[in-house]
Formats: sequence, C-alpha cells, structure tokens
Amino acid sequence: MSFLDRIAEGWRKNRKPGYYENFDYHWTMTIDLDQCSGCGACVTACQAENNLPIVGEKAFAKGREVKWLRMEHYWEGEYPDVKLNIIPMLCQHCDNAPCETVCPVSATYHNQDGLNTQIYNRCIGTRSCAVYCPYEVRYFNYNDHTWDSPLDQQLNPDVSVREKGVMEKCTFCIQRVRQAKDAAKDDGRRRVRDGEVQPACVQTCPSQAMAFGDRNDPESKVSQTLDGPRAYRVLDELNTKSSVVYLKKVGTEA
Amino acid sequence: MPNIDRRDFIKLVGAGGVGVGAGVVLRETIRDPREHLIPHVLAPEDYSSGVATWYNSVCTMCKSGCGISVRTREGRAKKIEGNPSHAVNQGGLCALGQAGLQVLYNPDRLTGPLIQSGTRGSDGFNQVTWDAGLGRVASRIDVLKAAGRGDRVALLTHGVGGTLATLFERFAESIGTPRLHHYDYDHPHALYAANHQFFGEQHLPYYDVKNTRYLLSFGADFLSSWLSPVHHSLGFAQSRGGDHARGHLVQIEPRMSLSGAAADEWVPAKTGTEGILALGLAHHIVASGLYRGSDADEWRQVLAGYELEKVAAQTDVSADTLEHLAESFVNKGPSLAIGGDGAANNTNGVDTLVAINALNYLAGNIGRAGGVLFNPEPAGAIPHNRQANFRDMMSLAAAARGDEIEVLIINDTNPVFTMADNPEFAAAMSNVPLIVSLSSFMDETTAIADVVLPSHVYLESWGDAFPEIGVGFSIGAVSQPVVAPLYNTQATGDIVLELAKRTGDTMPWSSMEACVKDNWRAIYEQSDSSTQAESFDTFWTSLLKAGVWGKSNHRDATVTLDKSAIAGVGVQAPEFSGDSADYPFVLQPYLSTMHDGRGANLPWVQELPDPMTSVVYGSWVELNPTTAEELSLVEGDLVNIESPEGSIQAPVLLFPAIRPDVVAMPIGQGHTNYGRYANGRGANPLEILSPLIDEGSGGLASNATRVRILATGDHVDIVKTSGKSRDLGRDIVQTTSGDDHTAQMNNIPITVIPT
Amino acid sequence: MQGDANPLKYTDIHNDVVASIVETGSNYYVALATALALTLICFFFPWFYQLYYGIGAAGMNHPGVWGTYLASFIFWIGLSHSGTLLSCVLHITNSSWRKAMYRSAEAMTLFSLVVAAMMVMVHVGRPWFIHWTIPYPNQMEMWPNFRSPLLFDVMAITTYITGSTVFIYMGSIPDFAAVRDRTRGWRNTMYSLLSLGWRGTDTEWHRLHWAYTFLAVLIIPLAVSVHSIVSWDFAMSIVPALHQTIFAPYFVVGAIYSGTAGIVTVMFVLRKFMDFGEYITELHFDNLGKLLLVLSLLWSYINLVEVFTGFYSGASGEIEALRYRLFGFYAPLYWEMITFCAVLPLLCAFKRFRTSFVPMLFLSIAINIGMYTERFLIVATSLSRQYLPDAWGLYVPSAVEISILVGTLALFTTLFLLFVKIFPSVSMYEVKETMDTPKKIPAAASGGSLA
Repeated sequence: MSFLDRIAEGWRKNRKPGYYENFDYHWTMTIDLDQCSGCGACVTACQAENNLPIVGEKAFAKGREVKWLRMEHYWEGEYPDVKLNIIPMLCQHCDNAPCETVCPVSATYHNQDGLNTQIYNRCIGTRSCAVYCPYEVRYFNYNDHTWDSPLDQQLNPDVSVREKGVMEKCTFCIQRVRQAKDAAKDDGRRRVRDGEVQPACVQTCPSQAMAFGDRNDPESKVSQTLDGPRAYRVLDELNTKSSVVYLKKVGTEA
Repeated sequence: MPNIDRRDFIKLVGAGGVGVGAGVVLRETIRDPREHLIPHVLAPEDYSSGVATWYNSVCTMCKSGCGISVRTREGRAKKIEGNPSHAVNQGGLCALGQAGLQVLYNPDRLTGPLIQSGTRGSDGFNQVTWDAGLGRVASRIDVLKAAGRGDRVALLTHGVGGTLATLFERFAESIGTPRLHHYDYDHPHALYAANHQFFGEQHLPYYDVKNTRYLLSFGADFLSSWLSPVHHSLGFAQSRGGDHARGHLVQIEPRMSLSGAAADEWVPAKTGTEGILALGLAHHIVASGLYRGSDADEWRQVLAGYELEKVAAQTDVSADTLEHLAESFVNKGPSLAIGGDGAANNTNGVDTLVAINALNYLAGNIGRAGGVLFNPEPAGAIPHNRQANFRDMMSLAAAARGDEIEVLIINDTNPVFTMADNPEFAAAMSNVPLIVSLSSFMDETTAIADVVLPSHVYLESWGDAFPEIGVGFSIGAVSQPVVAPLYNTQATGDIVLELAKRTGDTMPWSSMEACVKDNWRAIYEQSDSSTQAESFDTFWTSLLKAGVWGKSNHRDATVTLDKSAIAGVGVQAPEFSGDSADYPFVLQPYLSTMHDGRGANLPWVQELPDPMTSVVYGSWVELNPTTAEELSLVEGDLVNIESPEGSIQAPVLLFPAIRPDVVAMPIGQGHTNYGRYANGRGANPLEILSPLIDEGSGGLASNATRVRILATGDHVDIVKTSGKSRDLGRDIVQTTSGDDHTAQMNNIPITVIPT
Repeated sequence: MQGDANPLKYTDIHNDVVASIVETGSNYYVALATALALTLICFFFPWFYQLYYGIGAAGMNHPGVWGTYLASFIFWIGLSHSGTLLSCVLHITNSSWRKAMYRSAEAMTLFSLVVAAMMVMVHVGRPWFIHWTIPYPNQMEMWPNFRSPLLFDVMAITTYITGSTVFIYMGSIPDFAAVRDRTRGWRNTMYSLLSLGWRGTDTEWHRLHWAYTFLAVLIIPLAVSVHSIVSWDFAMSIVPALHQTIFAPYFVVGAIYSGTAGIVTVMFVLRKFMDFGEYITELHFDNLGKLLLVLSLLWSYINLVEVFTGFYSGASGEIEALRYRLFGFYAPLYWEMITFCAVLPLLCAFKRFRTSFVPMLFLSIAINIGMYTERFLIVATSLSRQYLPDAWGLYVPSAVEISILVGTLALFTTLFLLFVKIFPSVSMYEVKETMDTPKKIPAAASGGSLA
C-alpha cells in the first residue's frame, strides 16, 4: 500500500467517534418503564457498588449531589386526572457521545466494548463534558469526600475513590464487566454469556425491569427487545446513538 | 573546585554515608505501621486476599424476609445482593436492604454494654463489662422470680419469628411472665383481624400479584412498603409483561403512593371510605347478576344500603367510575383486590379489609391463581398472639404507670419514637424501675434505658426467618454472620440464653447458633422430599449454600363462608379526631424509604431522593396546589401542622396527586437521639397522631387525625434533586397506546423461580 | 499636535515619555502597592484556598458546572482584542489617530491574555495537570485530544500570546533605544539589552516596518479565530442555547466591542495620571466613540438575531432557555446588559458626548460591565435550562468567585502599572510620524538626537 493509501485507510478507520468499526462487545441496557416503579433500589445499589460519596445535606442543597443514576419525575395533568412518570436516567454510553469530543485530554473515550469510559487519573476537571452531555449525567467532585469511620470499610476495593477535581459518571459497572471477561477467559477462552455480568442497578431491581447484555449477541435479552415496537431512546433526535434503550410505558384505555 | 586532600575526602564520604544511613533508619522507624507489608502466609480461614467470599443470609430491614447474598472481601462486607434462589425476592433487593451495610458499619453503633450512671435520659452512660451488665439485669429478674412475681417482668421486642421467637417464648415462660409483646409500628393488625373474621385464618394469605390481570388496590403501596414489596414488585412486573394480557392496576387512595404512580387508573376516594367503596362495587356485582353464587341472597341483604349513588356521594367517586370498576373487576379477571395502610389505618379499618375480602370472594378470586391463596402453616414459629396492637401498648403503658412492671426488656423496637402521641408513652415507661435495651443503636427508647446490652446487627448474627407474608408455600432461610463481630456485642439470642442461664433456666443450647441448628434439625427430621439430604450436616451445608429452604406444599383452598362471616360485612363511615371546622384537613402519615424511622440513621437512605418527591435529608408536608393557593402558601413555606394532640413544623411541598382536603407527611424523620445522620432533622408526624383505635383490631387508626395548617412566616429551600417536574412536551417518558397490548409488549424477559 | 499654538517638538515627546518611565511619584507607589495587595488578597489567597478545598469553594453545582471563572476567561480574551484592533487593523488602514494609543492597547492585549490564562488555571479541577493539554512527548504516550474545542483554545491562545508578545516587543525596540539614550545606570543596561543594539539606520527602520506590518496582517486573522474558537467551546455542544452558529461572529464582535471600550478606559487613565493629555486628545475619543457606536449596533443586531431565531425555532429547549434568560432568575442581569450595551452607547451618536472624557469613561466601564454580564449569562442561563427539565438547576456565584473576579482586575492593573514603568506607553516614533518634521536646528542648540 502506498503511503497515501495508508493515510487514507487510517483516516477512514479513526474518523468515526467510536474509533471502532466493530465493537467487540456492545454493552447495552434496556429499561422497561412499564415495570419500573421508581423505587430507587438501583440508586442505592449503585452507590454501594461504586463508592459514591456521601455528600451531605449542604452539598445537596447547593445542588452538588453525586448520583450516577437518578430518577426523573414528570407529572402530567392536574388533579384529579394526574399521572406521574418516573424514568431512571444514567449515562447512556452514547456511541456518538458529545462528551468524548470535547475533553481536551481524552479522559473520556469510547472503548472497544461500546462503553463510554472515564479515566479518573487523566481528568483535569475542565467540566466541559458535563456541559456537553444533553442528559446531564456527569457528576463532578467539588471537594474531597470522607466517610465517617467505619463506613469506609464498606468501600468496594475494585473501584477507585475519586479525589476532588475529577469528573465521574456511570461506568456500566466496568469492574464487573472486566471480572466477567477475565472469568470467561479463564474458563476456556470463551466469550461472556448473557446474564453473566450485570451492573449493580440491573441486579438489584426488584421488578427486574432492567436488562443488560451484549448487542452483538443476537440471543441476548437486550437484542430481543432492542428493535421492538416499544423501544425508544431519550433525546434520540440528537443522534447520540445511546446504548440505553427504554421501553415505553403503556397507556391504557380504562 | 577547591582542593581536597585524601583525608578530607574520606571524612566527607564517611560523614555522607552515615548521614544517608541515619536518614534511612529514621524513615523506616517513622513509617506508618500499615506500610509494612505483612504476608498472608497463614491466611484466616474465611478469606483469600483479592477474592470475594459470598455468604447467604436474610435481610431484616423489614419483615419481608428477602434472601440476601453478601459479598465480603478480606473479612469486610462490601455489597449486599438479593439471593437469586430465594423465592421471595429472586435476586432483587430494595434500597433499604442495600443500605444494610451501613447498619453494620455505622459510626454510631453501640460498641459495648452500658449502664446509665446519671439521670435517666441523660448522657451519663458508662461502659461496663458484659458480666456487670448481665448481672445487673439477671439479679433483678432472679429476685422477682424467687418471689413468684415473675409477671412484673415485661419483654418488648420487634416482631421476631423462628428460633428467636421460640427463645423469647421460652425465656418468658421460665421467668413466669405473660408479658411478652412484639411491637412494630407497621404490623398489619387490621389485615390479620379481617382475615380471621372473614376466612377464619390465623395467618396472612398470599396475594398472587404475578398471575393477576386486574389488581384493585385500596391504598396498598405494595410496590414500596406494603407487606413484601420486593416480591410484589417482581409479581407486578410479571403481570405487566410476558406473553399474556397485560395486568391492569387501579389504585384507590387519597394520596398517590409509588404504587399509585405505576397505576393505570388512580382514584382519589375520600379518606376512610375505601371500605364503603368496596361494598359499593360488591353491591353492583351482586345486583347486576355478575355474581351467581348460592349465597347471593345473603349478600343482597347485607349489601343493601350500598347503592352506587349513595356510595358515590360518600366516597367522592362518580357512580360511573364505580360501575366501571366493578364490572372490570369481574370481567377482566383473574382479578385481585388488596387493602393496605391507606385503607386499613382508619377507625373502620378491619371492616374495610373485610369488605375487600368480600369483593374478592364475590369475584371468585379466593383460592385461584391470580387471586387470594392461603399459605400453609409456616415451618417456624410465628407467634401472632404476641403482636401488640395500639390498645395493648396502651395497656402496657397503663401497667407501667400503675407500678405493675419492674423490669422492661426492649429488643430493637423504638416505641418512644413510633407510638402515636408518644410523649405519653415515654412518660409511662419512665415509671419502670429497670429498663434494659438490647438494641444495637442508641435510639429514643434506648436513651431512657438503665442498662444497655447491645446486640449484634443482623449481618453478624445467626438466626432464621420464615416470612409470614409468604409466597404461597412454606419457605424459610437461615441467616448467618457474614463478618466477625465488629464490637463487644453479642447476638440477641445469646443474650437471652445468658440471661436465662443466670436466672436459673439453663436452656439446652450453648449458643444461638446451636439453637438455630437444633430448630432446623426438627425441620429436617420431618423430612420429606423437600429436605432430601442424607444427614443433617449435609442438609445444613446445602441450606446455607442455597440460602433458602422451601417445600412445595400449596394449600388447596376451597372456601365456604359461614353465614356469620357474610353477616359481619358492613362498613361504617370513618371517624376522625378534631372538629372539621377547626381542623380542616386529614393528616395521612405514610411509610417512606426510612420505613418507620429505622432507616434514618443510614446516610445512604437519607441521601436517597424520595421516590415520589425527590426530597432528601428532611421532612415535608404535601399539599394539593389548590389548597396551598387557598392558604397563600408557596413551596418551601414553613408551616405548623397542628392536631388536637400537638404541633410539628415542616415545609410545604406542592403535590399534584393528593386530595385537596388531605395533607400527607412521610414517617421517619424527626429523631432526637438516633445518631448523627438522623438527629435534629425534620419532624415526626406520629407525634401528633390522635390515639383513635380501630375497634375491630385494637390497632391505631393513623389516618384518623385531623389537622390545620398555619403559616409561620418562615421559608426554607426544600432540598430536592428534581428541577422542574413537567416535561414541557419534550416526550422524555414516552407512552404507547394500549390498544393492542399483546402485539406491543415485547418485554424484557424475566427470570423467575417456578413455584 | 499639528496646528497647535505651541507645536510639540520631537524632544518634547521624548522627554514626556521618558519622564513617565523614569520619574515616579509617591502616587504611583501607592497605586502599585494597592493593586498588588488587592491581587494577593482577592485573587491569590482565594485561589489557594480553592486549590486546597476543591472547586467547591466556588458556587458551581450540577448542572451549573461552569460559572464566573469561565465567563471571566472569555471576558478577558475579549478584552485582548483591543490591541489587535487598534494595533493591527488600524495600522493597515493607515489611520493616524491610533498612534498615540496602540502601545498601551497592545499591552492590554498581552495582559488580558495572561489574566485569561490564569483564569483557566483557576477554573479547572486539577490545574497541576494542566500541562497535559500541551502536546509534549511523555511516558504515558498520550497526546491531548485534538478534536476538542478546548484544545483549539490552547493552541490558539498560545499562538496569540506568542504573537502579541513578539509584536509588542518588536514595535517597542526603537522606543527602548530612545529611552536607553536618555537614561543611565541600571536602566541604561536594561534598555540596552531590550533594544538589541538598535542604531536607527535606514535598513533597520525598513526592516522593522516590514516585519511590523507583516505581523499585523497575521495577527488579525488570529484574533478573529481565537475568539471564534473560544465561542466554539460552547457552540460545538449540542445543548440548547449554546449550540448556535452565530456564536463565532457574536463572540468576535463582542470581543472587539469590549476591547474598544477597554481602550477608552485605559486611555482615560493614561491621560489623567501619566500626563499624556497632549498625545491622547479629543480626537482619539471621538474616533473611539464612533467605533463603539458601530460595534454597539452590530452587537444589538446579533442579539436580536439570537432572540429571534430562538423563539421562532419552535424547539422547546431553545425557547425555554431564551425565556429564562429574558424573564427568569437572571432577568435583571439580562436587561442591565441590554441597557449598558445596546441602549447607552447610542449616546455616541452625538459628538458632544464622544468628545467628553468623563462621560466616555463611564460609558466604557458600563459597556464592559454589560459585556461581562453577557458572558456570564451565556454560561449560567444555558446550563440552567437544558433538555431534561428534571435536571434544571440554579447556579449562584460564591464569595470566592466574586473575590477572584475583583482580583483579576487587580492583577491586570498590577501588570499594567508595571508595564508603564518599563515600556514606553506611548509610541514615540509613531507619534512623531504624525508631526511636522522639525525645522533645521543648529546642532549645538538641540538637546538630543533625532532618533
């Protein structure tokens, strides 16, 4: 191949935001809004698994909560014909992520498993990724956090504790994905099977309203529901190509 | 470079070397001891570094008895997950269950026995040895026992079952006291009474939510706090999804609960009229000929007076809606009607729940899948007769006031906080000469104790659970310690055993672990296919490994009602305290994520935005926006909520889905002595509840208090995470029309354990 | 100047400017000490506190992750366009009235950029790693992300600072030489080094003029691109109110506008306190006023376009953000901005107003306050109102942020005060170009050289 051809090929390969023509795994999450009750178990599970800080009332009052997964509430109508729609909002791991473009030091990038990853020790804290994210699911550490001993004994050793000045967000429990891939490799170099890895939120959901799996595997749970008539993505019109697919609530005739 | 001769050079090098050496030595000596690597040549038995060890146990944060699997690393508990094999929760776990780790590692845990050296309720607790603490209590009991006055000892524990319940029974018996009470604020007394009255059943039935296609919920927040929320959530999801007609949920309540938010229809009936509404539906079902049972005449007789127009006026729900609900209930079956706190906690609570049972009966839901199934006899002890309702607690208080009680032993229950109008109760208790608490935390009740003998928390203890709410068949699980005890505490069972020993009743078990094992030996010995192990030890090991035991012994339920059951159906109008002119609103206190307040000392629970309102770290009072406007109040205005019993303060929150004549407050905040995360935060609505009793059950009618709202002039910024809770047409939560459910379903397939 | 009763001589100019450097009254020291003290107290100490405590010392939150630091950054970059306009654009158009002012304007540019760079360090969460934005070979084998507009910023601003430094230095060489020839002792040594042995030969003048023009031509597109790139920090996002193509011209116009207003302020100060009344005259203010009027009209037009397109877009996100900006919590600031930047400058249509020094001073300060408000509003209101209404929030600056804002002014003032004592703040040789050439004077009676 000539020199120019090699450049052209490299250009073709790397110009796509996701960097990869083919994702090795393409982790996807589906959330069935008809079954989600909005109980918030997933929020606490995420907090426990990922060493999320206990920010305290003052920080909450200032609007500095750190909750990688939050419940959004939307009321419809007025009393007595009133409805409440609750939707869990977390990092959508967009294949066309606006946050990845803007980080000046590449602290957030799309890995070969389709995850939007955050490299804590590369982040210099410009917070432009949080500005660019239309789902507003990125959370900044405005100060160092402490845990009143012995609460710190609960911290998960597989996840770093972030220092001040660093941005963080949902990772689809990448530490669990990593461990599952390692376990699969030890078990005869096979691929991770559907259901072997579940992020903390998916695992704890009392209604089992969430599912997590590999889109590249046509037999996985998520692949079954991805193209269904109820599947949709939030803010789809922005073409972020998110990896979190919601299943529409069902409105009924009484 | 200046000239250096050889001697100077050597001196310099020597001095330099000594200096460096000294520096190294100095550095080594001032090293933090943790920096010295200690190789784990002989690691402790229960862990390998870097590898997680999982233990199955049972969550005790509420009475559902969900099975949990706890991940531990290097002897520390890291994460609690639901046990996928346990039929109650099947791998799921609620937020409070997840927060159990913070019960274990809470900085405000009691670390050892204490004796109050100052005045009661003061800060004068001194650390003592177990011997001293136990001795103080045992000697007092001994004296009473010897004098034949064992009945002056009272035992007040939270609702325990299984082995611990048996231990308490045995202990009470050995002392010779009838005063053994289980007290939980949220015990469904009315539900038990209603099931006893209508079906003659001692135990709670199993509500088969997963197979129902039309769920009519009368104020039952079954997805969040009623009976067994995790199990119900799973069932609800199954009824909504799958290859079948989608389950329909109607929620009838004055204030929208989380279950109401998930409902297809929300019907805001007047407080306390749910039973009348149910009978209105029943009337229509019988009158329109939808019910064709042989006892139709008796029904017609007893339901006369519940015509739809009359009921519509009383309940504030249109007759059309009532008719439609009644017909759907019968035609869109299998259907199921359930009644929860909203309906039950009124002065007509038992009658309301009986009416709901009647509704189920008339629609043919009793004993069929998707309806009301009866649980078999539980395999472990569940002493219903010990559950103290409000009337019982008032009697206990009267007995205390009347100097009939000399020793009060309290185990992990907090009546000083949860009893309505609780200052009275606390005052009565202060009359008891010796109060002992076995709690793991300092709380409002433990604060007035004289001796504290702190228990292990559930993650450090042996025990077992036979969830009463059940799953339709016998189920049980053993809870085991997942970490070594952190502090100088003991398992509750061991404390009881020790006290028994010191008061002359040496029970045949050396420890709680042995006691649990023994009780399970009995289960093993009544062996049938469910145990299927060659020896007890194999059984025990597999039991701990699975984390659950079950027996597929569904009860075949054919129900014939006797005439008196039918004749007993009827609901009076609810009564309320206070004059409606002075106190225009009905206060509805409801269980929040903190449950009855027990979760308030867990920072994760304080930081979990409330599922309906997204408020954190505080209390609030929910007002309908119209009501707020009439009172010239905006969100955040601090108001006094005054009942005939007293007054508390909370900021106003505008809540679109509540009746204009009702105000609601979450239970759980307002602690004064429950640790750094709970203290001085919010207000406790239970304080101002009027002591109205549901005569049918003796339980507290917690929805029967009228209040008035008075502005204080102050304003606070309510701390909540939601910005604007309207989606401005941006279609963030999309809804599909429900015309063709089956074609549109395509749900996430759920993994369930076949029953 | 020309036509005056007492025409200025070349020597007058030299004496005045050199005196401004060499002779220092106590007022100056007081001013410098105050500025320095304020810089330390208002800028550095709060910044060190923030380094210790975290960005939490500021008022930022979720979703208001950007605040006054970024607004200040953009504001100071905007101010830096003053020098570019006066120095370069007006140089190419051969306008004579710029000649007295442009040196100070260029200094403003340089120091604004320095302050803006400081604001970046204050703004990021971990400034001790800010060097990772520079593409240097490292053991991590990581380049910065060249697709990021923030990195375009780094490149553009570095280039701009470098260019401006070279530009101002190069243009000052003949003046350094002039000062060298009139001072003794340590000053003589310093200016000898700075003037690089300038002798004033024809060749040197020719080369200087050529190099100067060359750089001037290069710096103009640089200035336009720098602020366009800064605007793309916002415009390349996809969130409402920020994702607009008008941002590049909007910011550039705004920059030139606020830069020009900044020049008016600085010129007033120089006139007053450095005794440059004969060099900076009504003519200058008159022309600056005309410039301000044009820029104000342009700015108003762009704002109208923004409002117009926002509302007719029909997009809920855009309309909400705009409505919030006009009528929400920050509405008073919005209308203050409109008053100061669109309404008040219309006074510059009147020559009476343009040629009155004090009113022009007040107007220029008002314009800059309005321009700062504009930057702040872009940041704060857009982040408050994005796509998901549930995530809407409110950001309010904290005391640390206000203090640092005041501190940037103090820092700028300090730098400028130092500047006037080192650089000749009026360009001697260019001013001389506007004067009649001197009549032949017998060599014995002249006081100095013609350099």
